Amino acid sequence: MTQRPPFLRFGFVLAAAFMFATSLPAFAQEGSAPAVPELTEEIVTGIMTRAVDDVIRPGYRTFEASAGKLAEMTNAYCKAPSDEGRKAVDAAFRQAVTDWGRIEIVRIGPVIDDNRFERILFYPDRKGTGLKQVQALLQEENEADADAATMGRKSVAIQGFGAIEFALYGTGSDAVAKAPNAFRCRYAAAVATHIKTTAGQLAAAWDAPDGVQKDWKHPGPDNPVFRTSKEAMTALLGILVHGTEAVRDQRIETFYRNGGIARPKSAVFWRSGNTWTSITANLEGLQTLFDKSGMGDLIDPSIASVNGNIDFILKSLRRITPTIDPDMAKAVSTPEEQQKISFLLVNTRELILAFDGGYGGAIGLGSGFSFSDGD
Amino acid sequence: MRKAGGQSALLDRRAFLRMAGAAWAAALTPQAAFALARTEAVFASGYKASDGSFGTAVLAEDGGVIECTPLPARSHGMAFSPTTNHLVAFARRPGTFALVIDRGGQKQPVTIAAAENRHFFGHGCFSPDGRLLYASENDFDANRGVIGLYDARDDYRRIGEYQTYGIGTHDLSVSDDGTLLIAANGGIETHPDFGRTKLNLDHMEPSLALIDAKTGALVERHTLPEKLRQLSTRHIDLDEKGRIWFACQYEGPRNDLPPLVGHFGKGEDLTFLSLPEDTTIGLANYVGAIAVNRRESLVGLTSPNGGRFVVLDAKTGGVLRDESVPDAAGIASAPQGFAVSSYDGDFAGRRNDVAWDQHIASLKSRA
Repeated sequence: MTQRPPFLRFGFVLAAAFMFATSLPAFAQEGSAPAVPELTEEIVTGIMTRAVDDVIRPGYRTFEASAGKLAEMTNAYCKAPSDEGRKAVDAAFRQAVTDWGRIEIVRIGPVIDDNRFERILFYPDRKGTGLKQVQALLQEENEADADAATMGRKSVAIQGFGAIEFALYGTGSDAVAKAPNAFRCRYAAAVATHIKTTAGQLAAAWDAPDGVQKDWKHPGPDNPVFRTSKEAMTALLGILVHGTEAVRDQRIETFYRNGGIARPKSAVFWRSGNTWTSITANLEGLQTLFDKSGMGDLIDPSIASVNGNIDFILKSLRRITPTIDPDMAKAVSTPEEQQKISFLLVNTRELILAFDGGYGGAIGLGSGFSFSDGD
Repeated sequence: MRKAGGQSALLDRRAFLRMAGAAWAAALTPQAAFALARTEAVFASGYKASDGSFGTAVLAEDGGVIECTPLPARSHGMAFSPTTNHLVAFARRPGTFALVIDRGGQKQPVTIAAAENRHFFGHGCFSPDGRLLYASENDFDANRGVIGLYDARDDYRRIGEYQTYGIGTHDLSVSDDGTLLIAANGGIETHPDFGRTKLNLDHMEPSLALIDAKTGALVERHTLPEKLRQLSTRHIDLDEKGRIWFACQYEGPRNDLPPLVGHFGKGEDLTFLSLPEDTTIGLANYVGAIAVNRRESLVGLTSPNGGRFVVLDAKTGGVLRDESVPDAAGIASAPQGFAVSSYDGDFAGRRNDVAWDQHIASLKSRA
C-alpha cells in the first residue's frame, strides 16, 4: 500500500532501504493464479442493486430526515431556549453527524457534483478559511446570512456541519441561548435547513428511476458511468478503499500521527465532542456497504478468509472507537487513549490492505484496487 | 518483447557498460552481469512486490530483472540522463520523495525531499547535459503546477522553480536541444489533504505548455476546446522532428468517445488523431502511457483500463496494431517496436510476481 501521509520526509526510510539495495531481486516467477469469480452482468447487477437500494438510497434518505430533525429542534430552541431544548439539539446534531458519517463514505456520484460534499462538510479547514468566514458572519449579524433559501449561493464553508458546529459549540456559543431568536441560533438553524436541502437533493438524485441508480445497476456500452461490470465492481470497491483511506488519512492523521505533534483542535467535530461519533459512523457505513451489497458472496469459499479478515478488522475498529475519550485534548495526551488511536492507525492500514489487495485481488484486480488506480 | 516490426540499432553491451560504469557492473552478481552482457536494451520500471513492498527495477530486453532497489513507497515515472547515468524514480503523487541512483555506482543514492508546501506529481526529466533535473510538482495551496529545478552537480539541491502555467501538472519533458520544457497540465485539482481525490472534475482546466528552459517564461500555452474540457492531457513524448505527442484520460461520461491522442509543435495548434471507434473504445477513455519509437516512426499507447496496447504510424496516424494486453501498464521504445509491461507482472513476455508500475524508462539516449 502506498504510504500517503503527504508531509512525511522519507530520508531515513530510504537510507535504511538502501542498505539492501545492492542485493539482486528476489522476484519469484508467478505461481498459480487465484480463483477469480466471473463478473457476469447478472451477478454484478445484483450486487450493485443491493448497494444502491439497500445502502446508498436509504443512507441519503435517513440523513435527510435527521438533518430535518436537527433543523426542527434548532428552530424550536431558538424560539424558546431551554436546557431541555438544548439537549434535544445536541441529540439531533449527534444523530445528523452519525447519519452523514454512515453515507459520507460514498465519495462518488451526485455528492461530488456542485460541491455538495463540501457544502455538507467543509473539512479539513487547515488554514481556518471556513472558520474565519463563519466568525465574520456571526460578528456582522447580517440577516441575509441566516436565510437558508439563499445560503447555497454563498461560500461552501458557511453552509455545512463545520459552520453549525461552531455556531452551537464554538467560542461564544452561549450567545445562542441569551435571548429568544438570537441571530447566532437562527443562523445555526438555517444551516441545518440548508444541509437538509442538500441531503434532499442527493436522495432525489439517487431515487430517480432513470438517473444515477440506473447507471449503477446496469453497466453497459451506452452507460455514462460504467461501461462494464468490472468497472462497476471496481468503483464499488473504490468506495471501501477510499472510505477507509479517508478515515485514516483525513480523519485520524489530521490530528494524530505516531511520533508526530498532536493537533486535537484539527479533529473533525472536536468542538461538539463528536469526533469518534463521526469516525464510528464511517466504519459502520463501510461495514454496511460490504455486508448488505453481498460483495463478499463473490469470493470463492476456499478463500473465505478474505471476507473474514475484513469483518474481523472492521469489528475490531468499531469496538474501539466508541471507547476513546471524546475530549480530543485528553484523547491525544493520555497514554491509554493514545494506544487506542495507534491501534486504529495500524488496523485501518490493515483494512485498506484487506479491501485493496485482499478482496480486490480475489475478484480479479490482480494487483489490487489502488495499484490499478492509475495516473 | 512486444514488437511492432522494423529494424533497429541495438544497444551495444559495451556501450552500456561504459554508460553504467565499471564500479556498478562489478557490483553485480555473476547472474546479473551475465544477463546484462546478453541484453540488447535496458529498461527501468517501478514495481510493487508480492509482499506489498515497492521498488524500482532494471530489466533486460527480455524482461529479466537485472537489479532492483527498494523504495519506501510507490514510485511512478522516472528520468534518466545518459550523460551522467543518473536514474531518478519519482514518488507517485502526492508523494514527497524522489530517489536519484547513480548507475555508474560512483555516488551514493541521493534522496530528494519535496520542498515545503510542494509534492511531486510523479514525473520529471533531465536537461540534455544532465546538469539539471526538472520535476513536476504541485504548489497545492495555490493550486498551480510548478517545475522544481534541481542541481545535479550539487547533490540535487533545489535551486528554484518555474510555473507550468496550468494545474494538475503530470508529465514533463524537454526538447532535444534543451531550450524548451513541455508540461502536460492535466487540469485536475488535487490537494494532499484529500489524498488522490480529484476536486474539480466539473471545471477542469487541461493544457499543454511550452516553457523557456532558461528563464521559465511561457512560450506557448495550448488549452483544449470547451467540449474537451474534461480531457486530461497527462503524458507526452517527442518524435524525431521534435513534435510533441500527447495522450489523454477522459473524465467525462463513460459513453463519450473523445479523442485520446494528438500532437503539436512549437507554433502549431493541437492536432487530435481520429482513431477508429473500436480502438477508442478499447482504450477505455484512458491512455496510461505513451512512447515514441523514433527510428521506426511509431507511437505506442497503453491502457490499463481497457487492457490495450496500440501502435500508431507517427507519419499517418494510422493504427498499425491494436491488441489486448490485460492490465497493460508501461511502454517504452525498444530496439524493435516497444517494450510493454503490465500490472500483473508481464514485461516483454516474461512474468514476475510483481505488479509493474505505469511507466518504463529506457536507459539509453533517444535514437
